[in-house]
Amino acid sequence: MSIQDSTTSLQPGELPATPPLDDETPFATMMASFDVAARRLGLGPTEYLILRKSDREIAVSVPVSLDDGSFDVFDGYRIQHNAGLGPFLGPLRMSADLRIDELRALAAWMTWKCAVLNVPFGGAAGGIRMDRASHSPDELERTVRRYTASLLADVGPERDVFCPDLQADEQVMSWIMDTISRHARHTENPAVTGKPIELAGTVGSEIAVARGLRAVLRLTAAHLGLPRKGLSIIIQGAGTVGGNLARLMHAEGHKIVGLSDVNVALFHPDGLDVPALLEHNQKHLTLKGAEGTYEELDPKDFITSPCDVLVPCAVANAVHSNNAERITTKLILEGAHGPVSVRADRILDDRGIPVVPDILANGGGVVLSYFEWVQNRTGLYWIADVVEKRQSRFLREAWDAVRKVQDEHDVSLRMAANMLAVQRVAEADHARGVYA
Amino acid sequence: MSTVSMAANQAKQDEFNPFKSMAKGFDTAADHLGLDDGLREVLRLPERELKVSLPVMMDNGSTRVFEGYRVQHNFLRGPCKGGIRFDPHVNIDEVRALAAWMTWKCSVVNIPFGGGKGGVICDPRTMSQGELERLTRRYTAAIMDILGPDRDVPAPDMNTGEQTMAWIMDTYSMHVRRTTTAIVTGKPLNIGGSRGRREATGRGVMISANEALKMIGMRPEDTRVVVQGSGNVGGIGALLLHREGYKIVSLSDMYGTVYNDAGLDVPAVLAHLNESGRLEGYDECEHLPNAGQLELDCDLLVPAATENQITSENADRIKARLIVEGANGPCTAIASEILTDRGVVIVPDILANAGGVTVSYFEWVQDRMGYFWTEEIVNSRLEQIMVEAFQEVAETARKYDVPMRTAAYILAIDRVASVYKLRGVFA
Repeated sequence: MSIQDSTTSLQPGELPATPPLDDETPFATMMASFDVAARRLGLGPTEYLILRKSDREIAVSVPVSLDDGSFDVFDGYRIQHNAGLGPFLGPLRMSADLRIDELRALAAWMTWKCAVLNVPFGGAAGGIRMDRASHSPDELERTVRRYTASLLADVGPERDVFCPDLQADEQVMSWIMDTISRHARHTENPAVTGKPIELAGTVGSEIAVARGLRAVLRLTAAHLGLPRKGLSIIIQGAGTVGGNLARLMHAEGHKIVGLSDVNVALFHPDGLDVPALLEHNQKHLTLKGAEGTYEELDPKDFITSPCDVLVPCAVANAVHSNNAERITTKLILEGAHGPVSVRADRILDDRGIPVVPDILANGGGVVLSYFEWVQNRTGLYWIADVVEKRQSRFLREAWDAVRKVQDEHDVSLRMAANMLAVQRVAEADHARGVYA
Repeated sequence: MSTVSMAANQAKQDEFNPFKSMAKGFDTAADHLGLDDGLREVLRLPERELKVSLPVMMDNGSTRVFEGYRVQHNFLRGPCKGGIRFDPHVNIDEVRALAAWMTWKCSVVNIPFGGGKGGVICDPRTMSQGELERLTRRYTAAIMDILGPDRDVPAPDMNTGEQTMAWIMDTYSMHVRRTTTAIVTGKPLNIGGSRGRREATGRGVMISANEALKMIGMRPEDTRVVVQGSGNVGGIGALLLHREGYKIVSLSDMYGTVYNDAGLDVPAVLAHLNESGRLEGYDECEHLPNAGQLELDCDLLVPAATENQITSENADRIKARLIVEGANGPCTAIASEILTDRGVVIVPDILANAGGVTVSYFEWVQDRMGYFWTEEIVNSRLEQIMVEAFQEVAETARKYDVPMRTAAYILAIDRVASVYKLRGVFA
């Protein structure tokens, strides 16, 4: 029997150590702006103290038999940030360079996001330190099931609910649901969201983030006095979020003047033929080589091309301090997680270009996770119309609440959203009091 | 003291004991239904009573032991539902009676709960927030074994409110290791409360008045209303009636009565009350002492303050044609008889003020599914339930040829009794 370690090579007979709880920066960085929000709200240090730390951090070792007869032990974590507003909800990540501090940041981020969207959850984030690509589906399944089993006492529909992330797809969510259900001796659909539609998932999941972006874009455009039709829009990213958004906005009579993926950036000032491009993308898994009239731009120039609305839906820090000065748009909508860097945010603020922050703009996904949980609890599944209507109500109410804070405190939309989040969580914590 | 005056005194005490009134209502209804003695006994006695001693560390370092109760009168139709009161006058007889009252109230409006009630003997006015929190948490832990979303769901009552409910929810959730919002109702909106709950009792009063008016063939525009009280029930009730077109001629608070023969501008009165804390000083009206308020000339009287306001002493002088009981037990049994003989219609408390418990029920439903209704949906569902209950009570009153109060008891008891027959005697 050989013992392998997933991150470092060990001498034979040497056991991998339980990793220390590292003290890195993602959490501190993420929290910095919420610290400012708390100060602006006039929260005292004692009231805010509880929000600066995770409620609970669980580390588990996950032994897994490998296909070749050996076994490996992976590190698994679940960080539960704050339960004031309800059970925890958060994604599961699988990556070889997983860092606990990144999970801490993500868990807290989920708390804030749920609070802004007024869904009754606190934030959590889980992870398994493994390179998903280098393992067979069977190994992956055994890992996910063992990880879930190790956390059984602390997860479940009213404790902590899993939602998908980039590396943890529908299949992974289904394994988690099955493992929890087997142990509970009854079906526990609401323990996990992002399940396939045939396994108690909800309609409208796939398109949820794009629809949310559309709803927020409509509200923002109306607020800024932009026209309801004919806006020229640049969308970075042509996947589930960017691609769907392009289709929705095109159908609504706007001009998608720019669309890109990792390989190529297409631009035409009169608008692209979106349906044709997406059809090509579906067939060839890239926009490259699609027929039609457009200009291929250098991705660097693409994001600074003239438009009314820029929606970065691909990567973090797409708008950074080196290109923020050259951005020529009337409005930025953050489709991805953190596509505008902190420094770029300041530059854009000085230039008077409004940015609708990710915490609000791409919140359509978490709203659908919540809807799936509700439908699983009642056992009654909503028709597509109902899902769509209720989703847009949640986004409209979140937008209105953020705008109200903005007017009251004369701050940016991002600061207003952060303040709203901190306020809602602090109020719930305060009402519940300090137990024991 | 002569035997005659002692007897008179006793009669007066009996008249002023709302639980005796309720017991009388129960017996009358049971007679109409022809319930056998065994069933009467079952329905009269509480299923379970729990008495607990609650040691609490006081701010000055001393320990005090409080006494608390939880009585579960009946859980045939569903989990027990009923408030928790903190008051120096709490006693087991009162808690028992109030628990039974909840059984009948939930049954009249046909929501799937039995009745419960709890209380702690304490004086909240002399206690700090921290002491109250520790008391609430200790009380919750002490009665936890008989609580639960499917067992017994407390709610606010005298001297308890949203904050108390939040502590109960938190304590229970921490013990069971999961978020359990459905353990208690009357919570703040951000931790599983329901929209529309604060106005629910007042709204129920308004809906009852509307239905009663239809029944006796009157229109809101022609209805002069006197409301005793101006708080959560009276004030909100008056406001909603005003919006429906009723002419509110009088409102009152602890200190005095406002009167305007042409009709009060209710939103303005309430705005004044909100600002200054009392009705005194509001300009567009006459100011009268509270003593004669109930006898003012009006069509609809809404006693929404406290019990025993309309009694054998003043019943003769009441001018209203219709009384909607916003408070619990505002008309004594004797007064009700006098008024009924004179043709006055009384919509009884267990129906008229059941809007509160109905929205508590909605809160429990919403917590169970985790999805929260808009205020419009809450209000329209409340109306649906209240209208249906009103019509069933009115129908029962016609069928048995009894006043609405007796009819409400008949309906309530019959529902519980028929469930009892279906479920049978366990073991």
